[in-house]
Amino acid sequence: MTTVGAFCVTLNRDQCINARMPGKCATCAEVCPYGVFSLNGGNEVVVQNYNVCVGCRLCAEFCPENAIRINPAESELVSRYPWTLGTVEEIHHKALTGSYMLRGFGATGQTPHFDGIVVVPSQLASPAPRDKYREECNMEVVIGEDTCESPIRLQYPFLFPAMSYGALSKEAKLALAIAAAKTGIMTNTGEGGVVEEEPYYATGYEKAGRKRRIWEPGGYLVVQWSTGRWGVSADYLNAGDAVEVKIGQGAKPGMGGHLLGDKVTEDIAAIRGIPVGSDALSPCRYYDVLELEDIKKQVEFLRDITNYEKPILMKLGPSRPYEDVKAAALAGVDAISIDGLVGGTGCSPEVVTQGVGIPTIAVIGPAVRALKDLGLHRKVKLFALGGVRGGLDAYKAMAMGADGVGFGSAAQIAMGCRGCMACHQGNCPYGITSQNPKMRERLDPEEIGQRLANFINASAEELKILTMLSGHSDVRELSEEDLRALDVNTAAITGLKLVGYERALPWWENGHGK
Amino acid sequence: MAHAPTVLDAEGKDLRAASTELKGLLGKDAVIVKNAAHLHGLCGGLKSGGITIEGNSGDYLGVLNSGALIKVTGNSGKYVADNMTSGVVFVNGDADYGAAQYCYGGTVVVKGDAGDFTATMNKGATIVIGGDVGAEAATYMVGGDVIILGNAGENLGNYLIRGNIYIQGAWDSLGHNCTVGELDAEDVHKLGALLDEYGIAADAKAFRKITPLSDKPFYSH
Repeated sequence: MTTVGAFCVTLNRDQCINARMPGKCATCAEVCPYGVFSLNGGNEVVVQNYNVCVGCRLCAEFCPENAIRINPAESELVSRYPWTLGTVEEIHHKALTGSYMLRGFGATGQTPHFDGIVVVPSQLASPAPRDKYREECNMEVVIGEDTCESPIRLQYPFLFPAMSYGALSKEAKLALAIAAAKTGIMTNTGEGGVVEEEPYYATGYEKAGRKRRIWEPGGYLVVQWSTGRWGVSADYLNAGDAVEVKIGQGAKPGMGGHLLGDKVTEDIAAIRGIPVGSDALSPCRYYDVLELEDIKKQVEFLRDITNYEKPILMKLGPSRPYEDVKAAALAGVDAISIDGLVGGTGCSPEVVTQGVGIPTIAVIGPAVRALKDLGLHRKVKLFALGGVRGGLDAYKAMAMGADGVGFGSAAQIAMGCRGCMACHQGNCPYGITSQNPKMRERLDPEEIGQRLANFINASAEELKILTMLSGHSDVRELSEEDLRALDVNTAAITGLKLVGYERALPWWENGHGK
Repeated sequence: MAHAPTVLDAEGKDLRAASTELKGLLGKDAVIVKNAAHLHGLCGGLKSGGITIEGNSGDYLGVLNSGALIKVTGNSGKYVADNMTSGVVFVNGDADYGAAQYCYGGTVVVKGDAGDFTATMNKGATIVIGGDVGAEAATYMVGGDVIILGNAGENLGNYLIRGNIYIQGAWDSLGHNCTVGELDAEDVHKLGALLDEYGIAADAKAFRKITPLSDKPFYSH
């Protein structure tokens, strides 16, 4: 059915050949079968009747100067779903090239997320609110306190999750390290080896000798042990303050890391031990693990090689959170990060990023229950990752039982990213996910490190405000009672009390899933 | 006058106890470790020293070896010399599944047979298998040399990116991105020296060489 005025037709006369030379071109008027364009008496192209445009975009495709734009008059999610412009173009891409789509970042669109949950403040029936301006709030998280000789003490319950050198530029990696040092949190090498300055930058030192700390209070560097084992040696494992065993990630659970050849420069090739320009596609699983017991052996020898000093962490993708977290805890790790559907990446097949994995708010509950069932909740620390945007999301995740959260995509945005999702192409104009020297020189690690530190400090303040207004002076006191689900779906997924109903949905009350 | 090797009896010890004791002994003499088959990850990350495992070893022996000389008089468990960066691991018997995976450097010699996925993701080590090797050997290898005196199973060298596979015997099937060629003089010299060094009787000229077709077989053609 034809809809009158469904599309807005814009002709940029600065670019249009006919506007500059009446009588020339006019291809749009020739190809449009609906009479949107016509020629006036002076042989000038005019938009004769935009009301009849059906949005086929043939005129835009044929315009030699890209002077025409066709935009839907209302959201395509309303007018054309499921055949939105993005879907149409994706099908065209596959039809033209025979290749599936790749992109960066995480899942987009409406999925169950933290926005379906609200915080419950304190009034008369609960402990009185705490005073954010005049009282203290403890936000410290300790990892490996009873198991390691050098436990990690995070000033805030935050971390920067794994993002490799290769996916990110060296400058972006160093900015993250500086920010970790300035805020007392952890950053992570990812699986691309360690940047030379990263270990001492992350702990607050400008030089390798570590004589004078310039970024207080100093943070921590996690080095990642993963399936591609890029740049990994005994010295690498001992260069950081903890080792993370990567099992999966939210953007592409069940697949390994993707670093396309365009981003494999000489330096990155040397660290990873691969040819310059060659794709670094990490295996989807550990070749040196045949059974779960092997993971436990790996945790044991990683402790041995790091002299029983450093915490061993594990990162999981969003699959079967209860069973996976239980297995990870039984493997003997000190902390577990579990990523949700919205978790980001530098490169992944679109179909995997968009359609594979469990939303973050749905993995936290089962993960917490697994630790509680083992008697390990609050002992083995749990970090929620995937679409965490600030202190409000952090509060909600922690009230659901997580000990802390990770900021991956949010950290990239704090560095200047506008979320174009073209990280895999290596042309990031902000120098964050590019290896092009011209782009990289736009990112000053100290300046951007301060932006990141500002973001972390602001998010910590948000968390503090919310913790104290709900009657707590320690983030470990947060509980599900501090939250309500705004809708039935969120209540059904999380087990939280539904607003208005003021109880969990019946099947949760009957013990299902608890 | 040479000292007699120090002996460490690992029976009843866990990895932490055995490893701590071993590291304390390494500065002095060569160390013989007995009854170590139950220990997984022994000799991990060592930068120097000479260790002989008497009998069979557990899994992940010599993981992340960074310079030590490690010998096994019997058979090794799974994943021997995993992620080694330098040094030598020598197995007198057979190696179980996944020998010498993820190695960046050093030399691994298995006198007997080795299992499936041997030398997977080798990035620069020299890996010698005296007998047969299982399926999927040298999968996604990005550097180094793999020398096989016997036969290989299916999918040999699958998605080989860089490095060389030298094989004297036959193979069940070749993986993607592989091409078979003859040895040049440099190859023969290299192989001959290696076989001499480890006392392996074989004619270097009798090997064939498998190399990658392309170093960019995935997205970035």
